[in-house]
Amino acid sequence: MSSIVNIQGLTKDYGQNGVVTHALRGVDLTIESGEFTAMAGPSGSGKSTLLNIIGGLDRPTTGRVEVNGQELNRLSSTKLSRLRRDRIGFIFQSYNLIPVLTVLENAEYVLMLQGVSAAQRRERVRDLLKEVGLEGMEDRFPRELSGGQQQRVAITRAIAPEPALVLADEPTANVDSKTAIALLDLMRQLNEEKGVTFFFSTHDPNVMKQARRLVLLRDGRISRDGGMVEGLDTE
Amino acid sequence: MIILRIAWRSLWRNPRRTLITVAAISLNAAILIVSYSLMEGFKEHAVSNATNLVVGEVQIHVPKYLVDRSLYKSMKDPKAILSTLDRHDVPAASRSYGYGLVACENKSAGALFWGVDPTAERNVFDLAKHMGEGTFIPNTPAKGIVLGKKLARSLNARIGSEIVVVVQAADGSLGNELYSVTGILKAAGESMDRTAAILHQADFSELFVSGGRVHEIALNSKGKLALDELATLASQVAPQAEVKTWRQLMPSLSDMVNMFDAGIWIFGIIFFLAAALGVMNTMLMATFERMREFGVLKALGATPWRILRDVAVEALVLGFVSAIIGTMLGLGVSYYLMKTGLDLSMFAGDYSIGGVAFDPVWRATIRLKTVVTPVVVMWMVCLIASIYPATLAARLNPVKTMVRV
Repeated sequence: MSSIVNIQGLTKDYGQNGVVTHALRGVDLTIESGEFTAMAGPSGSGKSTLLNIIGGLDRPTTGRVEVNGQELNRLSSTKLSRLRRDRIGFIFQSYNLIPVLTVLENAEYVLMLQGVSAAQRRERVRDLLKEVGLEGMEDRFPRELSGGQQQRVAITRAIAPEPALVLADEPTANVDSKTAIALLDLMRQLNEEKGVTFFFSTHDPNVMKQARRLVLLRDGRISRDGGMVEGLDTE
Repeated sequence: MIILRIAWRSLWRNPRRTLITVAAISLNAAILIVSYSLMEGFKEHAVSNATNLVVGEVQIHVPKYLVDRSLYKSMKDPKAILSTLDRHDVPAASRSYGYGLVACENKSAGALFWGVDPTAERNVFDLAKHMGEGTFIPNTPAKGIVLGKKLARSLNARIGSEIVVVVQAADGSLGNELYSVTGILKAAGESMDRTAAILHQADFSELFVSGGRVHEIALNSKGKLALDELATLASQVAPQAEVKTWRQLMPSLSDMVNMFDAGIWIFGIIFFLAAALGVMNTMLMATFERMREFGVLKALGATPWRILRDVAVEALVLGFVSAIIGTMLGLGVSYYLMKTGLDLSMFAGDYSIGGVAFDPVWRATIRLKTVVTPVVVMWMVCLIASIYPATLAARLNPVKTMVRV
């Protein structure tokens, strides 16, 4: 397996009114292609910051972050946008679907950004929607869907461009436990069948159990990498 | 197409705000179309009144005649010039001028006598149709006279009144004659109204003993030839003569036309600014409401340029819808004003500006430019007004706009 994410000595400081907050205090992390990795940790431990930096949405204070062979610090804002568009899929806690677009249009949005022809993207997205159990809902708007259904659309949108990596920040936080397990099953199925690399943060021990690798973040540092979920205090 | 779909649907997230903005921009566009059409109508009416009535588009005189209107400053071979112009298919009329006194019963006044060729005036100019009372002088000399409106009033002259004329003839003798009023002109400008006494060219020649002297040849292609083209032709036909266009002959009218052009732009800029503020307000509100959404789009890989384009397209769609409604409204009102006109007679009866008489019914003129210019500029204004909100959206930090990624 080749590494899709390679992080060395990553720190991130936020400053406001002269007060500096150390969100990340020296993170070293490697994620191999095809992994299904969960990241856990208490609120404020730096999970979102780490995902933002890996996704090229935020810049590190120090350290080196390499995604898909590209060092993010060297990329311009436009090149980072292209990297996200072509190689990284995002799944957000609050789904973040575009309310004026239908299920099909939301799911095909990134493909449209890539310049894939309408016929090709429709074909690909329709197949995926069928796989995630949203067949027949293509013309519905997000407001007409349940939380779980909306997150399925978000997952479809994330995997439709066949990215090298899917980053998900607490993807099951806004759905009930039954839906959460179903969504995790879906993500795991996509990981196993399509080889999509998933790196997601979570608070939920039931979700952590689904992961093949668990990274524990505490006070901006990785306190544990790998091992079983049982007995972990994530709060 | 998905860009247009997003733009269209986004506009209707807040229908009331969009409708108010569309109404404001449409109304602005409509007002501009109507104003531009009215101004263009006024301009064209002024120019065509001035040129078609008597002045023509270009005039030929002997040099400096207009500075010193002497009876003796006449053209050498007017018939040759007229015949050459005729060969070039350029309609023209010759005129003779002389000063004298007119009297009717116990009233008298100074007058400028016009010796005209009634046939040419009827064919080339509108003077013969511009009669308030009676008819223009007949094509054959019959001692008939047409008076300016105010001159007739000051003489208490009516149709059929006998007018005694006394002039200094070209040979130094005192010329006098009796004429019968065949017609009184409608308002034709202050100078003509107060002084014009129009005779048949043959009667004029006999009165002034001028031997058929001609002082002016007025050319009027009625817009078939460009002004410069006509002036060049006149200079070629009469190389020794002085050639002047209507813009040189009536500088006040020419300035007024230029001022009208400037006026419509000043008027337009005010309306465009109002529209721009409306669009910018709508787009800013829409952008602030959707900061999170733009953040998501950036996170998904939309480049800043893409976001900028999406917001600009939304403004263009807003402008397009408004332009269609504004054009329909503006065209409808302009068409009504072209056909029916705006009757200003209750404010002013016969009036003249810069020596040019105006019909009190103000009519619009619809031209491609009177419709297309406001619409295209309004569209561009929408685009420009969207740049600031679009730049805000394009430059935002996705992490800050999304509470959590």
